[in-house]
Amino acid sequence: MRLLPCTAMAALLLALAACGPEASDPRRQLGHDPYLPPLHQYLLPPMHVAKVVGWNGATPQAAPGLTVRAFATGLANPRSLYVLPNGDVLVVETGEPPPSMSRPKDLVMNVVEKEAHSRTKPGQRILLFRSTKGDGVPDVKTVFLEHLHSPFGVVLVGNDLYVANTDAVVRYPYTPGETQITAPGVTLCELPGGPIDHHWTKSLTAGPDGTKLYAGVGSNSNITENGLQAEVGRASVWEIDRATGAHREYATGLRNPNGLQFEPQTHVLWAVVNERDELGPDLVPDYLTSVRDGAFYGWPYSYYGQHLDPRVQPQRPDLVARAVAPDYALSSHVAPLGLVFYHGTSLPAHYRGGAFVGEHGSWNRSVLNGYKIVFIPFADGRPAGLPEDVVTGFLVDGDKARGRPVGLAVDAQGALLIADDAGNSVWRVSAAAP
Amino acid sequence: MTSPNPRSTASIRSHPLHVMLVPVPIVCFLATLITDIVYWQSTNMLWADMSAWLLTVGLIVSVFAVLAGLIDFLGDPRIRRLRAAWIHVLGNVAVLVLSIFNALVHTRDAYTSVVPTGLILSGLVALILLVTGWNGWSMVYRHGVGVRGIQS
Repeated sequence: MRLLPCTAMAALLLALAACGPEASDPRRQLGHDPYLPPLHQYLLPPMHVAKVVGWNGATPQAAPGLTVRAFATGLANPRSLYVLPNGDVLVVETGEPPPSMSRPKDLVMNVVEKEAHSRTKPGQRILLFRSTKGDGVPDVKTVFLEHLHSPFGVVLVGNDLYVANTDAVVRYPYTPGETQITAPGVTLCELPGGPIDHHWTKSLTAGPDGTKLYAGVGSNSNITENGLQAEVGRASVWEIDRATGAHREYATGLRNPNGLQFEPQTHVLWAVVNERDELGPDLVPDYLTSVRDGAFYGWPYSYYGQHLDPRVQPQRPDLVARAVAPDYALSSHVAPLGLVFYHGTSLPAHYRGGAFVGEHGSWNRSVLNGYKIVFIPFADGRPAGLPEDVVTGFLVDGDKARGRPVGLAVDAQGALLIADDAGNSVWRVSAAAP
Repeated sequence: MTSPNPRSTASIRSHPLHVMLVPVPIVCFLATLITDIVYWQSTNMLWADMSAWLLTVGLIVSVFAVLAGLIDFLGDPRIRRLRAAWIHVLGNVAVLVLSIFNALVHTRDAYTSVVPTGLILSGLVALILLVTGWNGWSMVYRHGVGVRGIQS
């Protein structure tokens, strides 16, 4: 008797979960002029995360002309990479700070997030790998820096090594060749951290003349649901003066900017940006964009220029009027977190001058998207052509993840390195033997 | 000794469980309307978060209130013969269905978690609760449901 209403209720909820627009072909949302469907607000948003199953001896697949092998395995949540001038590779083992909870939905989201990530406790440290034979096979491994606070970005300028923890950029003295830093760090500039710290990965790079650092500071919510007061200084790229630690917001309206890199030919700053969720399977496309001084890229008020987001009140028509559309769409919910311009010579000539992007993969889309490394050809410092899949195979059986790519780097031999946080590995992509 | 009044089956020592539980969802759902209105006027997310908690607590306690109420309803045919009881049951089914939808709407992010759909649902629920509450009181105070006869 009572079973009937319960079954009916369960069926109703399932029907609700299924309602919403069908995911369309992500290829409609690549490049300069992506297809933007009408927005859809869910009763139950799709939460389709790929369960992490690990590699178990398998490896990712590389495009023709390339080969992949493990550079390091058995790590604890490697998320970003940095190559020192002597060829030593820094691997940042990191994880999110304790999640905050302001409403019942956060309970569910925290469980979903756990499912999508590795069970390994993040190292919160930086490891150093050295290939003494210079063949890209590491034979020395040391703990380079430890007891860090959700670190992500690393950059070396002269003998100053900067680490972007989630709450501060910290400077350490670095002596070329050393394999461990024990000196205490000096805080150069505090960054917006907790107690709410929604997008916590702080990407870091240095300007071409070395006087300024650039840090990516992601938003503190999907779309201001933690209040506008929690967004002070966020969803922006900070320019930090190396001498004084003073900062200003170099560009704003970038929901979660990562992979900050200067394009080597034009010296223009680029980033990959994670756009907002829960407006449908094909909204809003994540993107790769040049980051212009003083420009506003829309978040939270609008996306792709002047497309208003009804979830934000009060609106700011003055800001929306000058919102810049980004340069290059990567399609929706792919979660780009890594970017590197290829300036090496050992990969096929096709890749020279272009950009590799690491796509961590979707959770907010019925059909998974991302979970791969793509290559975007560049000409004269601008994207010139559609993205090509370079490294795939992170998904298995349709909806399980062996790993999830994050940060990228190019090593001293010109091979592409991929940090795989869910797979607890670093992969090395080099030219296939002819 | 049999009571002259309709009997509450789900009760502990003549204390009906249903009436002990229902104040929680009633207060939660009515308060949701208030916090929704305050959010609508202030756009301060604290109030929208409060609505989401109120709806969740209200729904969780409702599960037990519904079970106790249903047991009473099915337990004594004299209750089922009351017109007020039928209005009470059907109205509160509507309250629950609308509140489940309302809780889902409140999982959206920021403004549209409340305005306009959430606010409308909270208002509808408050209106229905006035009717079902009135009929619930009729059941107890006019028809003596669950009231044990005074022994002389």
